[in-house]
Amino acid sequence: MNNYSIPTPDTIPAHWIWFQVLLVFTFVIHLILMNFILGGSLLTVYDMIRGRKEYIASKSIPTLVALTINFGVPPLLFVQVLYGHFFYTSSIIIAVPWILVIPVLIIAYYSAYIYVKKIEKSPGWSKGGLIVSSLMLLCIAFVFVNNSTLAIVPDRWEVYFSNPRGVNLNIGEPTLFPRYIHFIIAAIAVGALGRAIYYHFSGVEEKVKVLNIRRNLRIFAWMTILQVAIGTWFWLAMPKEIWQLYMGGNLYATILMVTGWLLALGILHAGFKGRLLQASVMALLVVITMVLIRDFARQAYLGSFFHPRDLKNVSEWSPLIVFILAFVVGLIAIYYMINLIFKPENQ
Amino acid sequence: MNYPVWYLPSVGGGSLIAIIAIAHVVIAHLAVGGGLFLVLTERKAVKSKNAALLDYVKKHTNFFLLLTMVFGGVSGVGIWFIIALVNPAATSMLIHTFVFGWAVEWVFFIGEIVALLIYYSRFDKMSSRNHMILGWLYFIFAWLSLFVINGILGFMLTPGKWLETANFWHGFFNPGFLPSLIFRTCIAIIFAGVFGLVTASFLKDKELRASVFRYCAKYMYLPVAVLALTGLYYTRVISEEAFLNLFHFNRESSPFINVLVIASFLLFGIGLFTLFRFPRILQKIGAFLLVIISFAWMAGFEYMREIARKPYVLYENMYSNSVRPENNEKISEVGFLKSASWSKIKVVTDQNYIQAGEEIFRIQCMACHTIKNYNGVKSLSDKLTQRGLEAFLTGMGKVNTYMPPFMGTEKEKEALAAYIFEEIQEKSHLRSTEVNPGDFNTEVPDFSNAKDDYVLLVWNDLGMHCISDNEKYFSFLPPANTFNAQLFKRGSKPELIKTGVYITYSPEAEHENPQNHSMFWDYDEAIFGVDLPEGIGLSGKGLTDTMDLQGNMYAAHLFPVTPYRDDKKYNPYPVFTIKAIDQTTGDMLAETKAVAPTSTEMGCRNCHEGGWAWNDVSGMADLTAQNILAVHDRYNNTSLLEDAENGSPALCQSCHADPAVNAQGKDEILNFSAAMHGFHANYLTGMDQEACNLCHPSSVDGNTNCYRGRHSGTGLNCTNCHGRMEDHALGLLAAQKGNEAAERLSRNLNPVFIAKKEDIIPRQPWLMEPDCRSCHTNFSIREDGFKGTSFNMWADGFNSLYRNRTDAHGVMCIACHGSTHAVYGARNKYELQRDNLQPLQYQGLAGTVGTHDNCQVCHKKKMTLNGHHRNMVLRENIVSVVK
Repeated sequence: MNNYSIPTPDTIPAHWIWFQVLLVFTFVIHLILMNFILGGSLLTVYDMIRGRKEYIASKSIPTLVALTINFGVPPLLFVQVLYGHFFYTSSIIIAVPWILVIPVLIIAYYSAYIYVKKIEKSPGWSKGGLIVSSLMLLCIAFVFVNNSTLAIVPDRWEVYFSNPRGVNLNIGEPTLFPRYIHFIIAAIAVGALGRAIYYHFSGVEEKVKVLNIRRNLRIFAWMTILQVAIGTWFWLAMPKEIWQLYMGGNLYATILMVTGWLLALGILHAGFKGRLLQASVMALLVVITMVLIRDFARQAYLGSFFHPRDLKNVSEWSPLIVFILAFVVGLIAIYYMINLIFKPENQ
Repeated sequence: MNYPVWYLPSVGGGSLIAIIAIAHVVIAHLAVGGGLFLVLTERKAVKSKNAALLDYVKKHTNFFLLLTMVFGGVSGVGIWFIIALVNPAATSMLIHTFVFGWAVEWVFFIGEIVALLIYYSRFDKMSSRNHMILGWLYFIFAWLSLFVINGILGFMLTPGKWLETANFWHGFFNPGFLPSLIFRTCIAIIFAGVFGLVTASFLKDKELRASVFRYCAKYMYLPVAVLALTGLYYTRVISEEAFLNLFHFNRESSPFINVLVIASFLLFGIGLFTLFRFPRILQKIGAFLLVIISFAWMAGFEYMREIARKPYVLYENMYSNSVRPENNEKISEVGFLKSASWSKIKVVTDQNYIQAGEEIFRIQCMACHTIKNYNGVKSLSDKLTQRGLEAFLTGMGKVNTYMPPFMGTEKEKEALAAYIFEEIQEKSHLRSTEVNPGDFNTEVPDFSNAKDDYVLLVWNDLGMHCISDNEKYFSFLPPANTFNAQLFKRGSKPELIKTGVYITYSPEAEHENPQNHSMFWDYDEAIFGVDLPEGIGLSGKGLTDTMDLQGNMYAAHLFPVTPYRDDKKYNPYPVFTIKAIDQTTGDMLAETKAVAPTSTEMGCRNCHEGGWAWNDVSGMADLTAQNILAVHDRYNNTSLLEDAENGSPALCQSCHADPAVNAQGKDEILNFSAAMHGFHANYLTGMDQEACNLCHPSSVDGNTNCYRGRHSGTGLNCTNCHGRMEDHALGLLAAQKGNEAAERLSRNLNPVFIAKKEDIIPRQPWLMEPDCRSCHTNFSIREDGFKGTSFNMWADGFNSLYRNRTDAHGVMCIACHGSTHAVYGARNKYELQRDNLQPLQYQGLAGTVGTHDNCQVCHKKKMTLNGHHRNMVLRENIVSVVK
């Protein structure tokens, strides 16, 4: 008998599918933005080591951090709504590294600002800022992967009793490192794509623009090749009964996996051919596919314990309607604000 | 219970929340008010075409963006992280109840970020009108964020109708919503002014700096009146109980109230410097000082709000330790450890006692308490013994409601108390030595049935007088014993003698010098307002003195006996020799002996740490007295301990009325018995006579064993006459109905011997006592093993009390039957027959005077009629006497 039991969840105020859709939707945005900053930072560090000056795209890192954090909020909210009882428990088990994410993120954020602000005046500080920021982001990603893997494997929660002070990680989990590396490589790939997109819209000299777009798309493609290997490692590190679901064990999962593979091929094609639009669309599709694969894997792991449909729904429509209205008004306001920039009198 | 507990024995989860939350909340308020500041200042600069001021706004925007968007934004996420770690159940509840509220807030948050990023990056690159539109949009989104979070935050303290309806809007627009919103908006504007000073203090232009300082001062001072008024309004919308806990009962709030008050004075006092022209360095120091004070101010306010909510994390819905009140009963029945989802130990055994206690502490207490630091149990509980801790746990959430009730079985409660006492306090039990009574051997006075013409009956009215015994700190029972006596001239119709005689009394050897064993005479003036000669009691009587005629008996009141003997022995039953002397001839008419029972075995030390004062045997030690006063001061906002230490100890009855010492007390304060029993009953519930024994010297294992009369040998205990602790307390409290404290003390007490509270007869202490006839109907002897109670069946009137009642001839019941609690046939721990000296003297039998047809004691012959009361004669003598 275990010394613990899975906590009882609270009721939800709308059908679970609402939250599932919102979770996937907002997580995709968060993931792309996160990939832009993490991948972008790592690539800039790499450029720096190689002596290349790649400052233009990376100047947007602080803004991207702000947006990434902002878009991290809704998936964090919706994951708590659906999987809070797993998520809180795993967070408590690794409480110390988990709470350290906050100061580390603040350091990363300020370091990113130092990087941008000091580019001209004190390059040393600037480089230091970027390196610190990148390292901090890598640490955060590692803690997140620890939490995500621990949350879905309640059998590993016994570790709490050997250290209830929260000084734990989920190191023994077989998928931990492949999953982490899988995410980092993905970030570099998408980060490279982000830079290519940035160059596309930037006002730099055409020659430089084309060169950089091509270069970054190639990185994107090479990283995707690497990702195939890492992804396979990650995939096979999962318990057999789960990875087999993606190999015909479950139709939906298999379709997702095949789609992923096909999209990867598409990315290789677009990347090596230097086709930005195609690469961007493929990347968006692959991120969505991967989020869905990830979501399915979570369900598969939790299969015997829980499914969001088990949550008791105590419907209250009016707050949902108010949210939708606020969302629409918010979008209009944002559109209006961005539009203001491009008004002739503001140029 | 549902989730694992993040074990933080030193820091405490609450402190971590506080650190992150206070830092965030200051910046979050700044993010709102600062938005207004930016756009209004820009407007001012544009209107006045003041380029320097506009440049200041731009610089301030940079500072503002870095502070609010980076630090404010991330620390906001930090609050989510930390509350989920420390109180996952409550976080889950907030998330699930208000998920769409949070989602709306996120929309406003992104609106804020987009507006601010554009506002900052497009400074000087847009038309001022459009730029200011962005500024206004930022402020609107920021304020709307506050609007949403304020609703959810207010909900936690004042959930209002939501508790019944669970409706989102009832929870959101809760009673605290409006005052909190206005209050926080004012704070936001004030902080905008304060932080405006920071960047302004770096301005090099003297004139500009001075004008911006004055401008910022407007933000600081204009909202003050509204802030104060809404602050007051806020305290009115919280529940009465929360208000009382915050401002009266829960001392945890005191430092934070002080911080808030002092910070307010400092903020708005020091803030005045902005109106004067000081050197730049001083202005910088001043600005940064105000920022620090702002953090302190916020800490004071937010802590007060948190403390007002205790013991709940969501008022009246979920305790801070994540247990819902409605589950309390079930948990206490099933067991806390069994009910907890994350406990290694499920059942308390003799082997895992301390570990089980630790586990309970971790899961049930650590949401609020650390071990040694903030709100640390070590310092909070160091005034209690292990038994005291058990009592405290029993009473938690009853008298003072800022802690939840203890949830668990009795065994679990004991395990928790043991863990706190042994492991956290690292204490061991203070010694208590059992007195060896030794060889007291009192000679029974002579009596000749043939020759003696007088019978002198002497008794103590209560059967035991206790001394609170540490006048250095307080007193509620001074050394003050009482003898009553009746003298009869023997004959077929005995005569009660009330004239022509005087009656003297004197103590046995080694008891003559109470002044050597009591500090009473050092503090008589401070406590009682009289400066008595040493050895003399409050009514002017010494230990060798005469008695005064009082009605149909003689009496000596309040002579100062102590149980401490000159030969360093302890005996709470000093024997006195009493003589009746013919006033005219000086001849001794009669002589007898009686005990003046007096004990210092007040059981306060059983719960209030400090031990015995006198050789581990008896008496109240200084530490015990200090600990008692500290508790009184803490619960009642008094300063008794400090007063005592400054040489002004108090008589408890100077506030608490008490007929026993003829004290009027104060009207609004409970009488002494009601306060003592009412308060302690909440901590000693569910017990039989053990509850009495904890305080009174009635335990058979104690060094007094005052309940020694005939009844004690029949299996009856204190509660058979007085009721259980709860009954007893409820009776006393019912007599003070309408008194706020009486309501508070009685609301969680349930009667044991009576079905309903309403049926309890209000009882005045000392004036209403059990009626012997509730068991001894028609003065019959109960032979049926009666185990009922005479609780709630009080003697009708003062004169009907056992100690006052007489028969038709003026003979007092107590004269023949013996002192209360020591009714003849008594067995005294120090010397078997010590309380039976008179029946032994007069009839050779240690039973009621006159029993076994010994009517001749007074009547000189056997009687055949029931002269004094029914059922006296013509019956079988079934009651054994002590041999």
